[in-house]
Amino acid sequence: MTGNSYDVAVIGAGPAGLSAARTAAAAGARTICVDRYAAPGGQYYRQPADGTGGTATQRHGRALADAAWAAGAEYLPSTNVWSVSGGLRLEIIGDGRRGVIDCRAIVVASGAHERVAPFPGWTLPGVFTAGGLQALLKSCDLAVGPRVVLAGTGPLLPVVAASLARHGVRVSAVLEANRLLRRALRRPLPTLITLSGQPGRLAEAARASVSLGVRRSRLRTGWAVVAAHGQAQVQAATIARLDARSRPIPGTERMIECDAIGIHFGLVPATDLYQLLGAALEYRPDLGGQVPVLSATMQTSVPGVFGAGDGTGVGGAQLATLQGEIAGQAAAACAGGTGFPVGALTGRKRRALANAARFRGLYGELYGLPAGLDELIDASTLICRCENVSRADIDQALARGARTAASVKSLSRCGMGSCQGAMCGPVLASLVAAHPGEGRDQRGPLTARPPLQPIPIASLLGEAP
Amino acid sequence: MELIVDGQPVPARPSDTVGAALLRTGRLHWRRDLAGSPRGMFCGIGTCFDCTLTVDGNPGVRACLTRVHPGMSVETSDGSR
Repeated sequence: MTGNSYDVAVIGAGPAGLSAARTAAAAGARTICVDRYAAPGGQYYRQPADGTGGTATQRHGRALADAAWAAGAEYLPSTNVWSVSGGLRLEIIGDGRRGVIDCRAIVVASGAHERVAPFPGWTLPGVFTAGGLQALLKSCDLAVGPRVVLAGTGPLLPVVAASLARHGVRVSAVLEANRLLRRALRRPLPTLITLSGQPGRLAEAARASVSLGVRRSRLRTGWAVVAAHGQAQVQAATIARLDARSRPIPGTERMIECDAIGIHFGLVPATDLYQLLGAALEYRPDLGGQVPVLSATMQTSVPGVFGAGDGTGVGGAQLATLQGEIAGQAAAACAGGTGFPVGALTGRKRRALANAARFRGLYGELYGLPAGLDELIDASTLICRCENVSRADIDQALARGARTAASVKSLSRCGMGSCQGAMCGPVLASLVAAHPGEGRDQRGPLTARPPLQPIPIASLLGEAP
Repeated sequence: MELIVDGQPVPARPSDTVGAALLRTGRLHWRRDLAGSPRGMFCGIGTCFDCTLTVDGNPGVRACLTRVHPGMSVETSDGSR
């Protein structure tokens, strides 16, 4: 079992993690960056298959990584943190072998994952998350197809659709559940002002529109996939128009043949590591759900534990980079026994943080969760993919008096499987909150317990894998 | 290069993940859930654990995260995780 001491350990190698590793190392801290993936970049800066070339964005990500290693940070890829013991000791596992990392300060930058919304047939092979389709494209040059339907809500939908279309996939439909124009026009002037501060995002949206437009794959607003059909894999999707409360309008259903469906309903910050470290969380639906409580210098409620990036609240790559810079500096100062006051933040950083907060507000207004789609979840539809727990099972637990997501989990096994509630957690919370009865509006996360991912017992027993 | 999947050779590019190599052959599923229904890849980023299979004798390996190497032995399973 390998063990090592560092000043700063950064978990995650996306924009936030790489920035934190760079500034921590540059400040003189002995820094290590632990990454679940085989190559740095996280999701946003996912690198091309052979590690060279790619888009300007991918090259920028490579430059971020190179800068972190040049500053002296070490990189530990294909390694997962599965537990925390004794204060700031990280229990890690990679290639079936255990190790520990002792450190004086931690920056948690493990990002967010996609929020999913169940519908009949959603567990059929061929149903992916939109981000998953994007990951396959970026990392392995693989375009799933030939006919793909994308559905859900969020700016990622047209971006992924455009990427697929450029790779020759026939994007049969891009269905955005929210009526974006209507929502944008509710407060036109603030919307315009906020968008004017986001030139990068506007450019990306424009590029996606052109790519889709020339291939006649129009984005439809106020539509959703309401069912997936197929024997052993997806062969068709039923789509329908949604009313003002995002419930499917009877009579508007039509069936489209397709080979794959990509779904996306925003991002959910990953809080399991914060929980193990004892950091206080708060419920912020505008940021994607449960997030750590952070100071202006990215410190959590636990001394020595800092956070940065989408895992602290969904905000995109630029904000993540900025937060990472701050967290890395603060963590290095903490490891060195000195403080890092708010006053150390430059005016540029403060303005950038304020800009990001405005955009988050707009994002929430445009891409709110289409709650009416919960109606699609019929009794036999699975909520928990890992343990095969259906809506009927959840309803039964609620009928038996369960009032919290935790107690529904205890009764039904929802959230007890390999993914530990990453997929079903938000859906479960929504169903519990919506159930009539007192005291059911419980938004707390499902309790995280080690191991955070399944690990081989052989590794715990000290046997060779 | 080639992987051996359930005893059969499957082509793969050096930078593929096991999942990508399987998808590239047109195979969308390689696992059975608790009800015996087919499962393949879902989230693609290592969060959902739908895509697990046995690699070089190690079970529960996420196909979407695991880069291939020449001669890798892959077993897909029915009913187990």
